[in-house]
Amino acid sequence: MQILRYIARRLLFVIPQLIGIVAISFFLIKLIPGDPAVLMLGPNATADAVANLRSQMGLDQPLVNQFFIYLGNVARGDLGMSWQTANPVLTDLLQRFPATLELVTLSLLLALAIGIPLGVASSMHKRGALRRFADGYGLLAGALPDFWLALVLIFVFYSVLQIAPAPLGRFSFMLIPPETITGSVLIDSLIEGRFDVFWSALGHLILPVLTLGLVNAGPILKITQSTMDRALSSDYIAFARLSGLPRRTVRAQAFRASLPNIITIVSVLYSFLIGSAVLVEIVFGWGGAGQYAVAGVLNADVNPVLGFVLFAAMLSLVVYLVVDLLYFALDPRTRV
Amino acid sequence: MALARTIENEAPVIALRNLTVAYPRYGGEPRTALAGIDLAIDAGEMVGLVGEAGAGKTLLARTIMDAIPGDGRLVCGEMDYRGAPISRIGRDDSPVRPGRDIAMIVSNPRNELNPVLTVGTQITNVIRHHLRLGKAEARERALQMLRAVAIPDPERRLDAWPHELSGGMAQRVVIAIALACNPGLVISDDATSALDVTVQRQVLDLFKALVEDKGVAALLITRDIAVTAHYCDRIVILYDGEVVEDAPRKAFFDRPHHPYSVLLMAAFAHSVSLRRQWTAAPLKTAASPACRFAERCVRRQPRCIAEAPALRDVAPGRRVRCHFPVEAVA
Ligand code: SF4
Repeated sequence: MQILRYIARRLLFVIPQLIGIVAISFFLIKLIPGDPAVLMLGPNATADAVANLRSQMGLDQPLVNQFFIYLGNVARGDLGMSWQTANPVLTDLLQRFPATLELVTLSLLLALAIGIPLGVASSMHKRGALRRFADGYGLLAGALPDFWLALVLIFVFYSVLQIAPAPLGRFSFMLIPPETITGSVLIDSLIEGRFDVFWSALGHLILPVLTLGLVNAGPILKITQSTMDRALSSDYIAFARLSGLPRRTVRAQAFRASLPNIITIVSVLYSFLIGSAVLVEIVFGWGGAGQYAVAGVLNADVNPVLGFVLFAAMLSLVVYLVVDLLYFALDPRTRV
Repeated sequence: MALARTIENEAPVIALRNLTVAYPRYGGEPRTALAGIDLAIDAGEMVGLVGEAGAGKTLLARTIMDAIPGDGRLVCGEMDYRGAPISRIGRDDSPVRPGRDIAMIVSNPRNELNPVLTVGTQITNVIRHHLRLGKAEARERALQMLRAVAIPDPERRLDAWPHELSGGMAQRVVIAIALACNPGLVISDDATSALDVTVQRQVLDLFKALVEDKGVAALLITRDIAVTAHYCDRIVILYDGEVVEDAPRKAFFDRPHHPYSVLLMAAFAHSVSLRRQWTAAPLKTAASPACRFAERCVRRQPRCIAEAPALRDVAPGRRVRCHFPVEAVA
């Protein structure tokens, strides 16, 4: 019951939090030089035409008024238009956000599948070769830029070995895209029984997921290893060992103790990658949300940027709520 | 059959002979942290092991448990459990298992329990692993153990989390875990020092009662010689990795034989004059003395520097490692 009260309290703060985030990003973006009206009309536009468009777009109003107009629109579900794509931002984002989510989610699953077993095993065998490998891996993964790794993987698997498909989008452009239901191509194609799209999408996912997975396994490995190390040298693990409990029980208990930290790092990575997978998205022509937002910033196309920030913020809030619920479930000390 | 029985009854639960543990040292001789420990404990007997920090008390306990910390190494020595030699306990082929046959409790009970497992789970984990009992039986046994350590409302405590327990309660749970599989030997490594004095007394009273009741051999490690005066049948004094005195309680407190024992007793009695009298002037000699205590000994003679004293019998059940044992303290 306490948990329900906790969730209610959290949800109460969601709206003010979102308004705050939108406000900060709104005014920051307005600081970026560049007049959208000039950019839209091109260099040969007359001053009159520019002034006209400016008043049409509300750009002649005071900044604070502009903000409240935007806020009012957002409340009605209108995120404005992107002048680059000439689509409503909401439509654009609903198309692109799932692409990024799919990529990031699968990448993090791979990162977990690499990082956790390696972290656990290297922590249990502190003197083995595996430990040295894990330490080296952690160091390397922390130092490698993801887009560089992406280019190397493309070079090896596409250019040289010709196993992977061309790094152009989420599935072969020869195929007719499936209806958008969830936004995840994998799921949508399965729902519609479009196995050609499914296999193609899977193939296109391999290299970008490998890139982000390999790089982000580094921090997961490090966190797992260090929290396992700490747990293994704790008094209660020493007591469990002295009580003669078998190795696998000791390992399970130590892993259990490091779960909260692993969840924390995963949630941070998740929120972070939504925006920062952009370089990898660009390399693979992914058409994701990060790419969309960056194009917006570069072209003084304000609405896509604000829309992206709003989406990402909502996602982060959801992720952190889930994390808090998991902590709650994991630690008996919070359930008084 | 009859013979086997008598042997089992008469052999001490644990017998250590010449147990020696060394730690490697950078560019030097290895440091001998335990030097030829000889010690035996009978069933139902509670032996107090006293020494200052660094004397090797904990190391001795860990050596018995085959859990020597760091890169220490068992150089030589033998261990018998109930009269049968054990190579190293804890090996897969060894019939003696830590946690089942030899159990240990250490200090700071709150930290010894896993914060995310209930009390019941932690007790039953050990019971199920060692005794191969089913869930329900293990729980029943855990309940018995909680009753045995006099925890009020044991049914409810089974589902309690460690953070809901007081320090004394937690220590009782730890004792319940240690005794759950009927071990032959229980080692308490300074287990009660973190508790306040009244709770410490309650827990030790309980521990003593359980040890006598179940006929367990117990090794009570402590820095506090007063604790041994109340609870132990026999006192063993450890100094710098060596047993320097081993005596029944009454004989020991009536008349300690080793100069170091006297010094410990002076601290126990809060006797400043006694302590001053038994604290030595710094030793002025280039050669490292043969007796490990010589540097601090008021009774040292040239012989102590030249020849290491052996642990020898001075009376039935009494051993002392000194060329010139103390006859009268004051
Ligand atoms: S042997 Fe000598 S130096 Fe060592 S304790 Fe006895 S009297 Fe002191």
